[in-house]
Amino acid sequence: MISVQHLCKEFKVFRHRRGAWGAVRNLITREARVVRAVNDLSFEIARGELVGYLGPNGAGKSTTIKMLTGILVPTSGELHVNGHVPWRERKTYVGRVGAVFGQRNTLWWDLPVVESFDLLRHIYKISEARYRENLDTFRALLALDEFLHTPVRSLSLGQLMRANLAAALLHDPDVLFLDEPTIGLDVVAKERIRQFIQQINRERGTTVILTTHDLSDVEKLCERVLMIDRGKLLFDHKLDELLRRFGGERELLVDFAEDYAEVSVECARVVARDGLRVTYRFARDDISASALIARLSERYRIADLSVREPEIEATVRRIYEERLLEQTSNREDAKHAKTIK
Amino acid sequence: METLRLYVELIAVRMRSQMQYRTAFVVDTIGAALAIFIEFVTLALVLTRFGSIGGWTLGEVAFLYGLTESAFGTMDMIFSGFDPATFGAHIQRGTFDQFLLRPLGLPLQIFTSEFVSRRIGRIFNGVLIFAFALANTSIVWTLPKLLYLPIVYVSTVLFFGGLFVVGATICFWTVESIEVINIFTYGGTTMMSYPMHIYNEWMRRFFLFIVPSGLLIYYPALFFLDKPDPLGMPLFALFLAPVAGVGTLFAAFALWWYGVRHYTSTGT
Repeated sequence: MISVQHLCKEFKVFRHRRGAWGAVRNLITREARVVRAVNDLSFEIARGELVGYLGPNGAGKSTTIKMLTGILVPTSGELHVNGHVPWRERKTYVGRVGAVFGQRNTLWWDLPVVESFDLLRHIYKISEARYRENLDTFRALLALDEFLHTPVRSLSLGQLMRANLAAALLHDPDVLFLDEPTIGLDVVAKERIRQFIQQINRERGTTVILTTHDLSDVEKLCERVLMIDRGKLLFDHKLDELLRRFGGERELLVDFAEDYAEVSVECARVVARDGLRVTYRFARDDISASALIARLSERYRIADLSVREPEIEATVRRIYEERLLEQTSNREDAKHAKTIK
Repeated sequence: METLRLYVELIAVRMRSQMQYRTAFVVDTIGAALAIFIEFVTLALVLTRFGSIGGWTLGEVAFLYGLTESAFGTMDMIFSGFDPATFGAHIQRGTFDQFLLRPLGLPLQIFTSEFVSRRIGRIFNGVLIFAFALANTSIVWTLPKLLYLPIVYVSTVLFFGGLFVVGATICFWTVESIEVINIFTYGGTTMMSYPMHIYNEWMRRFFLFIVPSGLLIYYPALFFLDKPDPLGMPLFALFLAPVAGVGTLFAAFALWWYGVRHYTSTGT
């Protein structure tokens, strides 16, 4: 469906000199620096996948999305979506994709929502029957009826997002690009939009590429996660693989039935003790939760226990901050270099 | 055909949304008309005191003035989307991306992105001044003149459109220089409202051979008013208006597409 091979995008960044004299010099000579926003990126996405595209700010996420949607022309590399080269056949291509860029409205500002939809029907040449069918579906799923006849300019942010999502899907696109679709929304609105995206993906088989900073979006929606930083692909695996590798330590909370003087156990450390309640931390590579519980219950009488998973939010923050993936890939590179020698 | 149908439909949308701000529409229309009218009255007062500008009577200058104003007003309405101020805002805010995401031609989308119908005030004013010119000159209307007048008008609209499109093109590189672009468009109209032989040599050359605005109103006016050419250009210069109009717009769009390519390779 989507095939990206050795994709690169370079930008020239001009140094801006300050002051009046600087402005004059800017006109004559400009110092340019070449920045690689996307650097040798390769991945494949199959039809019907729902993929999370993550990375810190400035990692090259939106540059990639812009190339995938045909807005930007790559510097080098291959890029095919559904057999099209996005930027080369712009008009035919964009007629088959949908895009919602967070907080950016694509509807006619002064028109009621339904009239914007009607214009899109003409622009995308959607058949009357299909349009009706889709509109009815979206009205139900996104509760559009409460604002269908309201001018777009008077919509709340949540309503605006719902209207734009519906607008992006009226023409049955094969691929849907979502850039921060839940940004700035309250919990209820976020949940509604997530459910909608999931439903569209499952029932229509629409391929969805989602960039977000809200990791609960990823946790609830995406099976697969692509993570990039500094224009390079760092990680391309299932979501649980991400948690397994970088999930950090899990916690086991135990309420003992008796007061034991010594509660230590191999492969886990005691991080808190409050009367009968003891908190252990353990790495998933060292011991599984069930093995740890078995080991504990062999020695002690346990009244109650619970396992706490590390939050994905904290996990991903840790990956960015400590550049964990980079270290791993460097190590692998080094290993690779050695074997070549 | 399909494009034309969509054009009409999308322009109708613009009109409808403007009708939601009816008071603003009325006030702006009257305001714009009044501004031009006062400008012309000032000129008329100066002219009645001095008698003529470069040997042209008030009625003859009004011929230039009325034709220029109505053509510019028409262009300003049709090419609203290419107005550097409007178009520059799309580049600056990144909303130009949205045009690239629609399965429609880019010019069609820009033309229909804005339609400032209150420019009708300026057009109406231009027509009034032109009527004044007809009443105060003794033009001998022949068939060629009657046929040429609408051609001159349309050519001038296209020429001004070309200036807007060039201005919009510059916005692909910088949005800081909109004021400079305005000097050429708005300054150009003012310049064209006066007989060209009052300007000095280098200005005349510039406005004939670089930006051919002199060929659009002044030279055709010599033909309509049966005046000799004081600048000694060949006779066919009187009839170059369509060439200059279509040519300017064509060149402007070629440049604009170059700008689009620059945008899609840099994204700024």
